[in-house]
Amino acid sequence: MRGYEAFADAVKRLDLLPIFGNPGTTELTSLKGVDDYVLTHFDGLSVGMADGLSQFTFSPHLVNLHTVLGLGNSMAYIHSAKMNYSPVVVTVGQQDLRHISMEPLLSGDILGLVGNSVKFKYELKNSSEISSVLRRAKSEALTPPIGPVLLSLPMNIMDEESTYRPPEPVRVSYDVQNDEAAERVSELIKQSRNPALVFGWEIDLFDAFKEAERVAEKLGCPVYGEPLTHRSPFDSTNRMFGGNLLPGSTLINLKLLQNDLVVFIGGDVLLYPYLPSPLLEGKKVVFVGLNFSPKFGDFYRANVKYFLRELEGKITKKGSFSRAADFQTTTKIANEKERMGITYVMSKVKKQFSDYVIVDEAISSSTVLRDVLGYAPRKYFFNKSGQLGWGSPAAAGISMKSGKVLAIIGEGSFMYSLQILWTVKRYNLPVKFLILRNGGYSILKSYSLSYSPGVEKKDYLSFYLPTERFAESFGIESMVADKELESLKWLSEGNESRLLVVDVDRTIPKLFL
Amino acid sequence: MKFLTVLPEFIPSASVSDTINQILPEMKIVNDLNFEKNDADVLVATTFTRLGRDELKKFPNLKYVQIASTGYDNVDIPYLKEKGITLCNIPVANKQSVAEHVITFMLVFLKDMIFLNSELKEKKNWPLLTGSRDLEGKTVGILGMGMIGVQLARRLISFGPSILYYDVKRLSTADEEMLGLNYVPFDDLLTNSDIVSVHMPLTPQTRGIFNEENFSKMKDGAIFINTSRGEIVDEKALINAVKRKGMKAGIDVYAKEPPDFDSELFKLENVICSPHIAGVTVESQQRFLTETISNVLRYAQGIDPLYRVEF
Repeated sequence: MRGYEAFADAVKRLDLLPIFGNPGTTELTSLKGVDDYVLTHFDGLSVGMADGLSQFTFSPHLVNLHTVLGLGNSMAYIHSAKMNYSPVVVTVGQQDLRHISMEPLLSGDILGLVGNSVKFKYELKNSSEISSVLRRAKSEALTPPIGPVLLSLPMNIMDEESTYRPPEPVRVSYDVQNDEAAERVSELIKQSRNPALVFGWEIDLFDAFKEAERVAEKLGCPVYGEPLTHRSPFDSTNRMFGGNLLPGSTLINLKLLQNDLVVFIGGDVLLYPYLPSPLLEGKKVVFVGLNFSPKFGDFYRANVKYFLRELEGKITKKGSFSRAADFQTTTKIANEKERMGITYVMSKVKKQFSDYVIVDEAISSSTVLRDVLGYAPRKYFFNKSGQLGWGSPAAAGISMKSGKVLAIIGEGSFMYSLQILWTVKRYNLPVKFLILRNGGYSILKSYSLSYSPGVEKKDYLSFYLPTERFAESFGIESMVADKELESLKWLSEGNESRLLVVDVDRTIPKLFL
Repeated sequence: MKFLTVLPEFIPSASVSDTINQILPEMKIVNDLNFEKNDADVLVATTFTRLGRDELKKFPNLKYVQIASTGYDNVDIPYLKEKGITLCNIPVANKQSVAEHVITFMLVFLKDMIFLNSELKEKKNWPLLTGSRDLEGKTVGILGMGMIGVQLARRLISFGPSILYYDVKRLSTADEEMLGLNYVPFDDLLTNSDIVSVHMPLTPQTRGIFNEENFSKMKDGAIFINTSRGEIVDEKALINAVKRKGMKAGIDVYAKEPPDFDSELFKLENVICSPHIAGVTVESQQRFLTETISNVLRYAQGIDPLYRVEF
């Protein structure tokens, strides 16, 4: 059996198909035996698709990049997969090793370039290890901390005769219990005057929503979402949910001013603008989780689902928090309708797309989007790296498993990965795109207003993009929304991809402070 | 960098101190300036603390003064200019509050609330007819379309009046359309409006602009509201207009504060007064605090603070 035949059989047996990629000469040998292939017209988009699909299914998917060049094009997406704890298996074609010392065209230092953006990287030394290395790659990707891995596949090795042993299925256990964690945290809660809970993305990963709600309700303490969580941290319809923490030390301190104990469960602190307040100084801070190492406070490694089950039996009521009924949003919606404010738009989206998976890359509107659309199991995905251009391919990837995916994206962000529309059309992916057009890089203008006054007026931060016409050129049905947003219904109809542009309010608020 | 906040004694400094400790622990809080010298680089104060030349001289290292208010009449600007010290105010925290206060003045007059309240509570009478009127269909003239003017216009739209405005700087056509505004010259605004609300800054051009001549251009029985600066109005001319033209006035600001309570202004039935408090609400104080903290944090990180007062 040749190397490429071993590769084709192993990826199938390891359930890594389809392969996402944009091939070049160096990949042609590897792909000889592969038919289940999804083509993207930019290398990074294939990583974005695999990232979305891998997160949504909690199962690794495979990408095949074109040597050091395709890898370079994909680095932002690989970094995003790392930040999103997404188990993507990246393979990269390498030049023929028999003349590699001559530095031929398309050769390069693949392992050096990817650096520490992956948790495991390896260049094949012979064709007989293809099966075992692929299995190890999948296993490494799934082992906490979950994340991307990379294999370099030299052309000549993929064409060599090999001794092939089919890979055994990969099984990774997340059954990590920690008796000390529940014991110690319950003791801290008992001693605390006023504790607060902060839940994070691992609640979604391990489907620990019910356990999280039971603990919160039994304690009676407010629950917050970790700053910039990339997946649902709690069922936000539960009245114990007090909203999201914002990504700045001062903002977090203000929200948790009255609490002497803060327990982060399945999530971490992510900061964005530098603010000089010392983070949660003078408070007891504890983290519990499996995939991350927090930067401060005490840490207990445990699967949050098991931890919460244990904790529930050890705690008693500490408060009587219940989020006040929200009647203000209705007024806000009425006020914003004329100028197409984000609260108004999102309230309409919520009505039409309540059963959809939301992929959020509407950076400047994300805070409102999260508040209005809320969180539920496997219903919200965001990119924790801050990279623009991730949302469209990630949503396209998710739509390969879910027929109901809505990508909500700013028109500036959408331009980063416009070519995904070709892939969406080619493979009949049912993803729906809602483009919020605000006439520029609104997040940068907001940031400037708060932290770099004056730059928000630079003309290069404002632009007009006829996104609906771009979509049409790829054969994707598109339109610009009407004032009543009746067109959201049109967007939701049918099994084919559609794109709707909403011209939203261009008022630029300050960013957080 | 050293920070000092001076709070008037009626503000509970203990709770402010708890908050500040979580945000900027380097910040010290005092209730007065009864000391000889202080080495603070940054001074935060309200309008309740006089920051004249003598007070400011106590801060030889001072680089930045943040006033937690819209007004900064309490600060000796020439001294700051001489020493190259930055001054910032907070012009964005009370605009909503002022707009609501103005609408309160309008509705109290239009709905004849003073008369009705007095008929029931004082005279124990049940009047069958009143002069109560609707805001819908009236013409409201807004003088000055800054942040407060915009907030007022936004709130007025739902009542359905015609809205005229005048400002030295005209808004864009798109903004005018969105706010339902008609731009007219100053004189046309006075002659056409049933209600005139003043939101202009005090400048040499606006000082005393509401004199006998301009009040005479207004409609008989019109409502005049001033929540900007007292010196914009010639008080005697206003009293005459109320007496002779049957005008009504809602006044929040005075040329001298506190004013002379023996003034005829306080004896007129058609005048409602408030003590320069249009922008002072529980909610606006919280916004002032947040904006002040944000601006000081900006400065602490080496970022240019917002709302710099140009002098």
